[in-house]
Amino acid sequence: MNQPGQQTAHAGSGSFIPAPRQDMEYICADCGAKNEIKSREPIRCRECGHRIMYKKRTKRMVQFEAR
Amino acid sequence: MATIGEEEHDWEHENRTNWRGLGLADPIKRVEDKWLLLPAFLKIKGLVKQHIDSFNYFVDVDIKNIVRANNKVTSDVDPRFWLKYTDIHVGFPDRTDLDAIDKSITPHECRLRDITYSAPILVTIQYTRGKNVVRRPNVNIGRLPIMLRSNKCVLTGRNEAQLARMTECPLDPGGYFVVKGTEKVILVQEQLSKNRIIVETDSVKGIVQASCTSSTHGGLKSKTYVATKKGKIYLRHNCIHEDVPIVIALKALGIQSDKEILLLTAGNTEAYKIAFSANLEESAKSGVFTRHQALEWIGSRVKVNRKVVGPRRPVWEEALEALATIILAHVPVIGLDFRSKAIFVATMTRRVLMAMDDEKMVDDRDYVGNKRLELAGQLLGLLFEDLFKTFNTNLKSAIDKVLKKPSRTNEFDAFNTMQFQGDHITAGFVRAISTGNWSLKRFKMERAGVTHVLSRLSFISALGMMTRISSQFEKTRKVSGPRALQPSQWGMLCPSDTPEGEACGLVKNLALMTHITTDVEEGPIIRLALMLGVEDISLATGSEIYGPHTFVVNVNGTIIGLTRYPMRFVTNFRRLRRAGRFSEFVGIYVNHHHHAVHIASDGGRICRPMIIVENGRPRVTSEHIAQLKQGAASFDDFLRNGLVEYLDVNEENDSYIALYESDIVATTTHLEIEPFTILGAVAGLIPYPHHNQSPRNTYQCAMGKQAIGAIGYNQLNRIDTLLYLSVYPQQPMVKTKTIELIGYDRLPAGQNATVAVMSYSGYDIEDALIQNKASLDRGYGRCQVLRKNATLIRKYPNGTFDRLADAPLDENGQTQKKYDIVQLDGLAGVGERVDPGDVYVNKQMPTNANDNTFSGQAAAVPYKNAPMSYKSPVAGYIDKVMISDTENDQTLIKVLIRQTRRPELGDKFSSRHGQKGVCGLIVNQEDMPFNDQGINPDTIMNPHGFPSRMTVGKMIELLAGKAGVLSGKLQYGTAFGGSKVEDMSRILIEHGFNYAGKDMLTSGITGEALEAYVYFGPIYYQVCRFAAVGPRATLTRQPTEGRSREGGLRLGEMERDCLIGYGATQLLLERLMISSDKFEVNACQECGLMGYNGWCTYCKSSKKMAKLTIPYAAKLLFQELMAMNVVPRLILDDA
Repeated sequence: MNQPGQQTAHAGSGSFIPAPRQDMEYICADCGAKNEIKSREPIRCRECGHRIMYKKRTKRMVQFEAR
Repeated sequence: MATIGEEEHDWEHENRTNWRGLGLADPIKRVEDKWLLLPAFLKIKGLVKQHIDSFNYFVDVDIKNIVRANNKVTSDVDPRFWLKYTDIHVGFPDRTDLDAIDKSITPHECRLRDITYSAPILVTIQYTRGKNVVRRPNVNIGRLPIMLRSNKCVLTGRNEAQLARMTECPLDPGGYFVVKGTEKVILVQEQLSKNRIIVETDSVKGIVQASCTSSTHGGLKSKTYVATKKGKIYLRHNCIHEDVPIVIALKALGIQSDKEILLLTAGNTEAYKIAFSANLEESAKSGVFTRHQALEWIGSRVKVNRKVVGPRRPVWEEALEALATIILAHVPVIGLDFRSKAIFVATMTRRVLMAMDDEKMVDDRDYVGNKRLELAGQLLGLLFEDLFKTFNTNLKSAIDKVLKKPSRTNEFDAFNTMQFQGDHITAGFVRAISTGNWSLKRFKMERAGVTHVLSRLSFISALGMMTRISSQFEKTRKVSGPRALQPSQWGMLCPSDTPEGEACGLVKNLALMTHITTDVEEGPIIRLALMLGVEDISLATGSEIYGPHTFVVNVNGTIIGLTRYPMRFVTNFRRLRRAGRFSEFVGIYVNHHHHAVHIASDGGRICRPMIIVENGRPRVTSEHIAQLKQGAASFDDFLRNGLVEYLDVNEENDSYIALYESDIVATTTHLEIEPFTILGAVAGLIPYPHHNQSPRNTYQCAMGKQAIGAIGYNQLNRIDTLLYLSVYPQQPMVKTKTIELIGYDRLPAGQNATVAVMSYSGYDIEDALIQNKASLDRGYGRCQVLRKNATLIRKYPNGTFDRLADAPLDENGQTQKKYDIVQLDGLAGVGERVDPGDVYVNKQMPTNANDNTFSGQAAAVPYKNAPMSYKSPVAGYIDKVMISDTENDQTLIKVLIRQTRRPELGDKFSSRHGQKGVCGLIVNQEDMPFNDQGINPDTIMNPHGFPSRMTVGKMIELLAGKAGVLSGKLQYGTAFGGSKVEDMSRILIEHGFNYAGKDMLTSGITGEALEAYVYFGPIYYQVCRFAAVGPRATLTRQPTEGRSREGGLRLGEMERDCLIGYGATQLLLERLMISSDKFEVNACQECGLMGYNGWCTYCKSSKKMAKLTIPYAAKLLFQELMAMNVVPRLILDDA
């Protein structure tokens, strides 16, 4: 029902490197620029050099129960 | 007769305007709004000025003194080599990574990234390189954690907009450190003052003793006693095996003649002379007549703990050294001139004689003037001195190691050696602050629990922590003295804010206007005193010192001279201080009992500002206040112009202070700025506290700290381990001036609930409250719980690394339910709901992470799952996912999960008057009573809460709140003031309400009018943090045992018997099993053994399995019996 992207890595299978993640974007906590994060590289904003990133909000619908 | 005629003449013209348009009988104009000095004071000093001032003093002054005292490093190998520190300063906080463009760092980034908010310590060094002397400025020797809002912090002097840009709350007081991402406070410690004589008696043993703890700038402490033993007086010190008869001690200090000894100790008082004579006799008996003999006597009893280097010294030299450097080390001995030390010992002796004669002449240990407060700056100073000394020894041995090598390829440069010294100083600071262990072998200091994590449960709890003072006294001792409220605490320490229970009275809180002094150099103060006509003490003999009109002048406990005109001297001294010629924090007072003038310039004294009164008029006038209002003058201007001054506890005791302007008489010296400042920041939240029974205010001080509300303007940017936030916080209808000053109206923790004081159903007994269900639906008492879940994506030394994997598929090609929210990057999507058991960080670890022999392809390594899954039984939502790097370049992931909680039965609510209650029943709105306007209460409170508690303040709060609601204004309930009940009643009448606040209500159930009028109106209610479940033993799942482990109280067999005997067996079943220790087992009806999942492993069948509920303890018992070869069989029957 969601995420058509290929499933690449599985626990235990471990014989190949996870393929580069295509569309995961992160937001810089300082300037709000969109960034991509590559594994095992320092986390740093391309625009301002800030070291903190936040994940973007999910595209899926979220339903709340009003109580 | 003529005079009377003149007076009559004056009275006749009493209404004539003769001076500035005022007549004789006109009332003197009062200084309106003098309380405005308080916000002016807080604007300059801030709420936690004591911490910040102390840290600033350390960074600006003390650190330089420490380096100056240890400024040279030499080598044992090459005598020509030396290295000198010529200067030291602390830079501004910066980031340590080399490739950063913008070096500055904010405290908030440190919190998020789990790093330390620290600044480099930079020194200027001079050293020899070959034949040259080289100077190198700005050499980094380590990093110092920086106190927030100190003068090295990036937040100081910023406006709200700039602070918002740095995601920092403008109302946050600062004064704490951020170490490895956690906020740490160094609490204020209370101690007995150093270098002062304290005289005490022990009436049981009949001992009188004067003791003095000497503390010098080396940090070493030692205690010297002058005490009686069998009617004779002795000097006692740890470094001498035997008690020294006082006469021998004085002879050794250079006072040889018995006449002089008698004069210096007993003076001309006959009673003292008689009491002292026995001591002279004793010394004669033991054959000590000369100074040399006395030194020999002491020298043979001195503990020598030095390794013998060179020839043994004669005994008398040992005595001389001990007397000069160890005993009463704070009294300087310059060039073996023992005169001032001899006089100090003589004074101690005299104080003992005085106390022997009149037992009222003793000092009070609990008197606040005899106490000193130790703050962060002093503790960091000691720590730095220790670390710096170790740094220098390490440096020296490293230099020696290089210099020892016979030939070198290039010239030796000590700077390079220094660069390889590692991070001893940095690591030392971080370790001490994050663990709270100050173990400094060099200063014989071993203290644990110095630092605490700043409690962020609410804004008030953080603020309350910054003003807290902990005492060194042991909690278990059964003495009431240190716990009692001391009259000298007035205005300095809050009389209400102390915890209940074992720390009661030992943990205190500062009042609103207190300031704690830092050290002021005493050299210039002594020079000034001598200039003002004080005669040097070395020139005086006993008959002058104890003459009838002479006063001894002390500076920081050491006698410096005499004066015959103490009042004139003190007045002149104060005049110079008010003129700003020296520090405003130097205190001076006269002690008439001891005929002494004391000047104090040491750090750690508590003091507070007061308006100076001269000639019966306060120096602050309405014009000054007008200037203040316009912003033309600040608090410092008032200080500089001699309108206000700081008084410490001792000087306060020597002043005549009027509480109100109308109380001023001719002898008044000072006027209080505002009476409500005797309370602290936490007690300042209580409206009308002066109408409450005192313990109620104390209870509220404890409860105000656990109220859920707003934490800071940056609360939604914070990722704390646990954060409680109120959904709709409101500022109180009835506020106080303190509330406005500390910013509680902008960061409130509570809501104005409409309360009906009446009985309803039976679920409101014992302080239970009835809540309106519709109010809860509208958001009353609703809060959010935010929980941090952090993990590191590690790189291991063998080249392998952790990784994040996306959700695995099951055999049908579908993602499992528990991986549903995990996205492609292995992290849960922001905003998704997390159900119990769901994975939100799908981390995988290499199986051979700790195998250091591994040297293959890091990517080809087998991985095992190490996911983070959601544990709480209640579903939550992913609020934030943060990704960052720590200082050592490991990826840090923090996931913030949010839960929303609405009030349920059993939740704790409290008003601001120490009146807590639990929610006993939630009632539909239609069943709630209502008044003629159709207003329902949010809460119903049982009136039985009032008579025994006597919280009249709460009733007035309701009245003032109701008047405020009706008139659309906020009312004030400031302590010793606030809106008047009469005015409130008038407003109520104007709006057509009963003047007493009572309303006619109609029952929502029957529709009949209630038989009585009901006290009805808004009261500010706080929702308290939910009590956490206590710890349990893992094996038995029973509560732990013992008070030290927060254990429970056992309900044992005999207690059980009582309940059975009473006939309450079902209570046992409910309390001991159903609601605490329930466990579901599968038992086989065939064999009577326990199986699992409907399968009996013994019978290999699932035919006769049954589910039943037993206590976990019983299940454990069966299994343990089986382990001992005993078979317990469950025989099941239909119940």
